[in-house]
Amino acid sequence: MTEVVQSGMSQDRSDTVRRPLPDFVPAAGLMIVALLLWELGVRLFNVPEFVVPAPSAVFRSLIESRYHLMVAAKVTAIEVLVGFILSAVVGIAVALVIARFERFGRALYPLIVLFQNVPKVALAPIFILWFGYDMAPKLLLIVVIAFFPVTIDMLAGLQSVEPSFVSLMKSVGANKNKIMLRVRIPHALPHLFAGLKVAITFSVIGAIVGEFAGANAGLGYVIQFASTQLDTPLVFSALLVISVLGLAFYYVVELAERFLVPWSPKYDTRQRSH
Amino acid sequence: MMLAETAAPAPSVVSAPDTAEAQIIGRHIAVDFTHAGRRQRVLQSVNISIPRGSFVSLIGPSGCGKSTLLKVLAGLVPPSEGSITVDGIAPEEAAKKRVIGLVFQEATLLPWKNALENAAFLLMTADESIAKSEAFGRAEAMLKLVGLRDAENKMPSQLSGGMRQRVAIARALALDPQVLLMDEPFGALDAITREEMSECLLDIWERTGKTIVLVTHSIDEAVLLSDEVHVMGTGPARIIETLPITVARPRGEESYSEPAFKAAEKRLRGLLIESHRRTS
Repeated sequence: MTEVVQSGMSQDRSDTVRRPLPDFVPAAGLMIVALLLWELGVRLFNVPEFVVPAPSAVFRSLIESRYHLMVAAKVTAIEVLVGFILSAVVGIAVALVIARFERFGRALYPLIVLFQNVPKVALAPIFILWFGYDMAPKLLLIVVIAFFPVTIDMLAGLQSVEPSFVSLMKSVGANKNKIMLRVRIPHALPHLFAGLKVAITFSVIGAIVGEFAGANAGLGYVIQFASTQLDTPLVFSALLVISVLGLAFYYVVELAERFLVPWSPKYDTRQRSH
Repeated sequence: MMLAETAAPAPSVVSAPDTAEAQIIGRHIAVDFTHAGRRQRVLQSVNISIPRGSFVSLIGPSGCGKSTLLKVLAGLVPPSEGSITVDGIAPEEAAKKRVIGLVFQEATLLPWKNALENAAFLLMTADESIAKSEAFGRAEAMLKLVGLRDAENKMPSQLSGGMRQRVAIARALALDPQVLLMDEPFGALDAITREEMSECLLDIWERTGKTIVLVTHSIDEAVLLSDEVHVMGTGPARIIETLPITVARPRGEESYSEPAFKAAEKRLRGLLIESHRRTS
């Protein structure tokens, strides 16, 4: 009887069906319950704060260290943003080169896959050694980690054009560049955004790992510093700020996708089935 | 119109009586594909002559080379042997001069463009200098011709399979080609839509007078639409018989019950079954 339609995309206009709840309501409810249980558990079993701080202690630390955290968040945010943009540019460029220059692409692609198997996180100390404690080694680490999903998805997108359509373009005299520009690249956009969404979360990881390896600012640095001081509530607050930052960046990419690729099947609620 | 098998080597210069009637002339066409280092003959010594303004079908079991032959006519696959001309010139030249329009099994519309923009897209690609208003005007007229008067602003995702294929036909017609080559254009559609589309195509042919070459699996479709059906067989892939269809025109739903229709249908079925048996 009380069917609650989960997704806001449902086209069912029947009056007997209740208005759907916004997606975040059940998730938020579950989170509140989990936080309450956590608080209760810590208090009940007298867990020491430096082992597991209660949510209230984390919140207190968040308020107390807010300036400190904000300054660190700004440093990390800039690293993530610049690193992500560089990753996107490099990732797209590599995909375009592989797709456009097939022979060179056949040589390059296996090398990129091979390189993907190097544990990139382990490169962080080397980059620090080469470039010092500034932003450069973090950006390099981010690019090395995050360009790969962009390249792979972009490439899949460029190659997703149906061969018969390529024949059609060729038959009226369109050359490879024209086909690339007018057909392949627009076709690749929905795929590209799938890659960019992975890349933005990888960029956050890259920035934090870079700061772990050697930094004097940023949220990764705060976590490392606070943990040596056994200031676990501050570690958790910094983690919270990183998560919120990552989530915000992710939604910016998703928003850009909605704006730039409105024909993507997942947004097209008018889709008809035949 | 099938040319008799002659032993003469394929001349690229065609004699006068041929050009007067035949628009597409293929002589001794053979196609080899190289697959994994092995050459394989996918089409063997095909002679074909297609009169201007006629409706011709290529029918046969899978693997008989009918799609390959269509691609040769379109200039997409160069023949390994023999010669082919469309309007007296090589097919790839003819395609660039927009003599040839192509329709495939998949409509392949661009999902970020609406029906009108899709219908105009190929014309605007072929002719960089054409004014947008002119291209859209022609695309609009072609959408009307294929029966999509009110769907101009719809996106491909909002169109049914049949409607998408109509847009693909309009896109080909917007080039104003002399010849329309269609590779199983209705193969992915359900039976009822298919019949609707056959009638739509018949109507387009009658109104525009274009030469149409249709690759199909459907005997009914071939008989209803064609002046001539080329039956193709395998082992090696070639044309095994050319059957003129004498069903009276104009044709329509009532044509299905005509004796000439039934006779042609029976003959085609016999040929296809025989050809299929030899394959399996």
